[in-house]
Amino acid sequence: MASATTTDVADRNPAFVLRAIRDVSFEDRPVPKLRDDYEVRVHVAQTGICGSDVHYWQRGRIGDFILTSPIILGHESSGTVVEAGSKVTNLKVGDRVAIEPGVPCRRCDYCRAGTYNLCNDTIFAATPPWDGTLAKYYTVASDYCYKIPDHMDMEEAAMVEPVSVAVQICKVADLRSNQTVVVFGAGPIGVLSQAVARASGARKVIAVDISKARLDFARSYAADETFLPPALAQGADPVVHSEKVAAMIKDQFGLGEGADVVLECTGAEPCIQAGVFVARKGGTYVQAGMGKENVTFPITTACIRALTIKGSIRYSVGCYPTAVDLVASGKVDVKRLITNRFKFEEAEKAFELVKAAQEGVFKVIIEGVQG
Amino acid sequence: MTQALQGKNPSFVLRAAGELTYEDRPVPDQPGAYDVLVKPRWTGICGSDVHYWVHGRIGHFIVEAPMVLGHESSGIVAAVGDKVTSVKVGDEVAMEPGVPCRRCVRCKEGKYNLCADMAFAATPPYDGTLARFYTLPEDYCYKLPEGMSLEEGALIEPTAVAVHITRQAAVKPGDSVVVFGAGPVGLLCCAVAKAYGAKKIVTVDINEERVKFALQYAATDSFISARVSAEENGKNLIEQAGLGMGADVIIDATGAEPCIQTAIHALRMGGTYVQGGMGKPDITFPIMAMCTKEINMKGSFRYGPGDYQTAVDLVATKRISVKELVTGKVKFEEAEQAFAEVKAGKGIKLLIEGPAE
Repeated sequence: MASATTTDVADRNPAFVLRAIRDVSFEDRPVPKLRDDYEVRVHVAQTGICGSDVHYWQRGRIGDFILTSPIILGHESSGTVVEAGSKVTNLKVGDRVAIEPGVPCRRCDYCRAGTYNLCNDTIFAATPPWDGTLAKYYTVASDYCYKIPDHMDMEEAAMVEPVSVAVQICKVADLRSNQTVVVFGAGPIGVLSQAVARASGARKVIAVDISKARLDFARSYAADETFLPPALAQGADPVVHSEKVAAMIKDQFGLGEGADVVLECTGAEPCIQAGVFVARKGGTYVQAGMGKENVTFPITTACIRALTIKGSIRYSVGCYPTAVDLVASGKVDVKRLITNRFKFEEAEKAFELVKAAQEGVFKVIIEGVQG
Repeated sequence: MTQALQGKNPSFVLRAAGELTYEDRPVPDQPGAYDVLVKPRWTGICGSDVHYWVHGRIGHFIVEAPMVLGHESSGIVAAVGDKVTSVKVGDEVAMEPGVPCRRCVRCKEGKYNLCADMAFAATPPYDGTLARFYTLPEDYCYKLPEGMSLEEGALIEPTAVAVHITRQAAVKPGDSVVVFGAGPVGLLCCAVAKAYGAKKIVTVDINEERVKFALQYAATDSFISARVSAEENGKNLIEQAGLGMGADVIIDATGAEPCIQTAIHALRMGGTYVQGGMGKPDITFPIMAMCTKEINMKGSFRYGPGDYQTAVDLVATKRISVKELVTGKVKFEEAEQAFAEVKAGKGIKLLIEGPAE
């Protein structure tokens, strides 16, 4: 008497695949095998969508990473460990985890020097040519999986990834307590950076955005103050305008000569300019947002005012554990950022929603394959 | 003994405290994908090697089974794994003897020398390099540039120790640096500090011959420590060496209590002190002076990312010279003799040749 056994079901690995630009579909992929004894296989529970996912879908490339063959999408995930390699010591089957999606080579000079986020041979989920986490299963090195406390749910665990990005941004900024911080951008990364800055003891956190709705949310979330820049007048010089915006911010919020720290989380040229102008002498400016590759940049101001200017990319050692703690302790409330939830089969709809960039849509998450 | 020496992989082994012997150990397998099989050619002896021989342990590292000795080596590449790209068969390399786990937080934050699961050659239970063959990962092999000898390659290990100490001390151009101890590590700290632009480098030792050597090697000034109070010793050191308000940086490469105490008193306010030497585990320490002078104090242990390559570069570009530190060379069969000489405090660096082909 034939019957569907549980192994039949368990042997399937449905995946949401980007086949080519603007061409996504569901495929039945093989259940991934552990690549070595240090890996675990995770049954993915929740996956958030990021601007970069949408960008690969629509443009097929980000910088030198070019889509040349189909990849499974998704990289902001949580799940449950279902298989563990023989040398895994930090996790066991059944553990609920937040997944860090980029595993470096561990052997190059960057890795050895403590900057693994710069490793050229990183295996990063959903960055071509690597498959991502929008499948039933995902395999990953166990030291890139972080057990979450019982009171944290899988949605919160999936949000650990963008929180880690914010933690890295603040780490690069070398945030100290009692500093003034201006954050350009009140999208997910912007507001999370505001939250981490606040948790780091910032004296004043100011959010800047061109959307009043987003600013209202930022104020209710972690920002002490918000600022909506005036629009650029017809025919006005954009750099002069940015300098004026910076002066307004300094004046309105009593920043004196300027902010100690500026976190640029938009990538938008006017914000980058205003960010340089709003930093105090000797202040720190961190570029986290990604927009145009080349912008008009107030280089002489940066020089004369002895600014420290740094780039921030992904996350490095300690970011994930810190992010888990920030969420687990309630210092950063990630539930409030989730506005839309979709089932696995509706993944394409979820991506369309993020692409449409409507007001009222903030963080969109996709449930994993059930069963 | 001759049987072992005629073997496929003759190895110089510490069986237990006081018992040295030769064994024919199994030839290692073909190297893994990222690994390199090296034939060690020259191996220097370190105080720690002698300590294991005499005491059979250092701290909680205990020789519980026979262990191949040696960790300061250079050699010739005999085989490479299929993912190795930076070295090929026949290349001459300096060998970094400690391989960390690559997975823990210390490793990931760039402090692999602090890895709890470090596998270090000739630290129990891991075998060392005094054998015909030794396997290590590619990223722990440093190709010696043209013009650098294998003997110099064997000096890279202690040079890397000195590079790490000097980095911990953050020596910068114009600094005044005092180095306690004119043994190999102390001498190399003087040389590296000089390469880093230190303006004044004061060598301190109780042995006049060593001090004389240090002065013509890399130090600009010297001081012979006296049996007076540490405060007085420190004051005399400052005066005699013209250190003004006190030294910017002091490195201890002795582990000797009187040196450590003197050092704190010889530093300027806000100066930096680095503990490199290892002696008594617990000492009487001038904690009050350290506090009120706001001394920046650090330990230094082995070497971390970039140190080995820096050591190779410093020697290759002749910014430091290590040849003159080699005061003796012996054949593989005479290894025990070399150990006895080092134990007796003879010479600066003694090198043991790899087994004859």
